Parts: sequence; C-alpha cells; structure tokens
Amino acid sequence: MLARIEYALRETWASFRRNFTLTLAAVLTSAIALLLVGATFLIQRAFENLLVQWRGDVAMIVFVRSDASPEQVALIDSTLRAAPSVIDVEKIRYLDKTESYAEAQRIFAGDPVTLSLLTPETIPTQFKVVPITEDADLVRSLAGQYRTLPGVEAVALAEDEFEVISTLSRFVRTVTLIMSLVLLVVAVGLIWNTIRTAMFARRREIEVMKLVGATNWFIRVPFMLEGLLQGLIGGVVSCFGVWALNSAWTSGVATFKPGTGISSLVVPSGYLSGVVVILLALGALVGAIGSAIAASRFLDV
Amino acid sequence: MIRLDGVTKIYGDDTVAVDQVSFEVAKGDFVFLVGQSGSGKSTLLRLMSREEIATEGDVWVAGRNLSEMAASRVPYLRRSLGNVFQDYKLLLNKTVFENVAFALEVIGKPRHVIREQVPIVLELVGLADKTERFPNQLSGGEQQRVSIARAFVNRPVILLADEPTGNLDPATSEGIMSLLEEINETGTTVVMATHDHRVVNTMRRRVIQLDRGVVVRDQERGVYE
Repeated sequence: MLARIEYALRETWASFRRNFTLTLAAVLTSAIALLLVGATFLIQRAFENLLVQWRGDVAMIVFVRSDASPEQVALIDSTLRAAPSVIDVEKIRYLDKTESYAEAQRIFAGDPVTLSLLTPETIPTQFKVVPITEDADLVRSLAGQYRTLPGVEAVALAEDEFEVISTLSRFVRTVTLIMSLVLLVVAVGLIWNTIRTAMFARRREIEVMKLVGATNWFIRVPFMLEGLLQGLIGGVVSCFGVWALNSAWTSGVATFKPGTGISSLVVPSGYLSGVVVILLALGALVGAIGSAIAASRFLDV
Repeated sequence: MIRLDGVTKIYGDDTVAVDQVSFEVAKGDFVFLVGQSGSGKSTLLRLMSREEIATEGDVWVAGRNLSEMAASRVPYLRRSLGNVFQDYKLLLNKTVFENVAFALEVIGKPRHVIREQVPIVLELVGLADKTERFPNQLSGGEQQRVSIARAFVNRPVILLADEPTGNLDPATSEGIMSLLEEINETGTTVVMATHDHRVVNTMRRRVIQLDRGVVVRDQERGVYE
C-alpha cells in the first residue's frame, strides 16, 4: 500500500514539473474563477447588511423614539392594526431595543463611528410593516399619517431605500455569478486538457503498464491526483486573493463618511473563513471533475 | 494452458484476420506461430493477452475464458502473462533496472520484492553488469533481453512473443532464442510468432502455420516451409 501511495505522489510531482506552463495556466484560471466565486459570496453578504432590515417583504419601518412611553408605542401599534386593507396585520413585527440594537450592529458593521453613538438605551425601536396592497401610493400616504403620531421618530419606506440597493445587489450577483460559472467551466476544461496532455506524454508508459497488468485505477490515480491538486492550488491562491481584496475593501470603506451606507458593505471574519473553506472545496472539485473526465476518456492508448 | 475454439476475429466490418482457428497448447509447450505478414499471427497473440476480443469462438487462457472475462479482471490475467515485442517497448527515460522494476512496481509489489527479484532476472538474461544503462546505450539484442526480463520478472505461466528476433541479426537472434528456451525449461509456456526461418528450423519445436487467418499446418517438431 505504501509503495502505491509513494508511486502516485512521485508520478504526480514529476508530471507537474514536466507540464509546468500548462499546469500554471490551469492553476491560474481556476484561481481567478474561484476568486470571482468568492467575491460573489462576499458582495452578496455585504449587501445583506444593508438589506437585513427589509427582509421578509417589509416595505415600511416605523421608527419609535427611544424615549417614547409604552402608551405611545401601544397607540402606534393599534393605529397600524386599524388599516387591515393596506397592512398585513398578521405580519406586523415590533423590534424592542435589544433586537433593534442587534440589527443596527449589522447595518453599521463597517461604520464604528455611527455604531459608537448607538447604545441599547438610546436606539429607536421599530415596527416592521408588510403591506398587502400593491398600491405603493396608498402605503406612502399611510406613512405620511404615521409620521404625525406622537412618539414616532421617522417612517422609512422600502421604495426609497431598499429598491435601489436590492436591484443593484441582484445585478451584481447575476453578473459575477455568470462570470464565475463561465470561468469555472474554463478551468475544468484547462485542467482536463493538462491531464490529457500529461497522459499523452506518457502514453508509452501507460501502454506498458496495461501490458504488465496494472489496473486502470492504478494508472488513473496519479493523473486524477494531479488535477485535484491543480484545482486545490488554484483554490489556495484564490483564498489569498479574496483575503487581500477583502482587507483592502474593508480598510477602504472605513474612510467613507459615516451614514452613507457604503461603510456597511463589509463582512464578518467568520463568514470569510466559511468562504475560504468553500473555495478550497470547490477548487478540489473542479480539479477532480476535469481530471476524472480526462483520465476515464484517454486511458485507451 | 491455452485453448482456442473456433476463434474468428473480424476487424471493422469485413477484414477477417483470424478465421475459425482451433488449437490447444499444453503447459510447458514451446509453439511457433508462423506465416506471412497479415496471416493473423499477431492477432492470435493479441487475442491471448486480451488486447483484442474474439468476434466468434472462445479463447481459454490459464483456465479462463477471455471472451466472457470482465474488463476489470483483465489486469489480473496480464499478470500471469509475459509479453515480448519486436520493438521491445522499453521506456527510454528509465534504466535497465527501472524498466524491469516498473513491471513489478505498477502491480503494487513491495520494494523489497523488487530489490530481490530484479537482479535475479537481469542475471538470468545476462545483463547483470548493465543495470544502470539506459535503453539507448544498449544493442538491439540487449534491449530485447531487457524486455524479456521485464516479461519474466513476475514469473508468468505463459510468455507471448511477437517477432522477438525481427530486428536482430542471426547471431543475436540465437542468443535470444536460447534465452527463451531457458525460460521455457522453467515450465513457462512460450508462444512465439515469427517469420524467421532460421530460428524455427534450428529449434525444431511445434509449428502452427497460418495463411490468411486459417491454420494450414500444425506439426510437432516442425520446420518453416
């Protein structure tokens, strides 16, 4: 068994050196493809920071002053419930101070200045409102009424804030996703080609191996390992790329004016580690697929 | 050891390489397959090592029916066969020792077996002093000896040789033939395709003559006609 493993590793390494340029091309392509995949994840996650408060078809948020009395909050609540033809009263959600503070920490993730001004005591609480009508004007006019209620600090409409970001986020996601998919396919193709070339270069050896009774798997494994390794190395490179991009971005947006929203477009480090794991696994998968196709198709020499 | 039962091999749609061939080779036999180029000698050898599958009929080798053998079992069949070719099929980037060791390595033999067996076989073929040479540094006869060593190192029960003296001069051929004879004396069945008159006539072994895919003569202690 040990002899087999040693053989496979030795052959893999030898082939790597023999086909250096092709290997480099395959590795770089998978790295770039995976980098784009990583960027897609990060961008998506960053946008979610801004979109989190609108999740679940929320179209209107009524912010309640932090010093509002319980009676005022109750009044706002009953006022909202008095318009069942416009508002889905089942889905009215009240976020108390703790919940609102937790949400704000995501929204202002990259904006320590704003964040430091907020405390669980001073933060406005909020009602999240899901309309049942399609009529945006009706919702807007209702929002106007709510602004005049005692204790209401502000009323935000999704139409004004959410739509643009949401559309932008969807657009960016679609573009990066398509680009990374295309590049992933190209990466599979390049790895396939590298392995095919490697097998062609060693066709005499493969012929002899088959002649003396080596099993197909024994012949295949070094080649498949080679492809897997190419994808994996591409994955490692892309991880460094994603990490570098993210660091540059995070320190870049930190200099933006607070409150513009841009500074919210950052991701927590825990999420970044998750993306790294995904990229490594995806890289290995790309390599495995490319080389498996090549190794199973070009064994008959 | 080998039995062919009404074996026909048709390449493509209508090229009949072997036509209704039947014969049996006993264990320890030494058999020449003779005939002109294209008479079907090589095809018969390829059928025996299952590089080809018979279109019709059964090929039995070492107790196994190759026509019904699953592709996944073929490597194990090949381990009980040794193959020798006119063009040696040596790996030019490997030394004599490595070429022979390769045959054991790729069937997963442990290193101590390789270190023990390869020198024994190289001694047998008379190349003990050239183990570190590369094929290009050897004469044709020496290269064929390496290829025989590679075929024999796993102690096959059958040795299939396709024109092993085809590229060699008479004197060198003689050396190769006595080596094959020596291997045959260890109990290995040898089947050799050739159109080398001299070799066949000196050896006086069983001769199976083919003509356009058909057996036209099967003679004990025969000569090339």
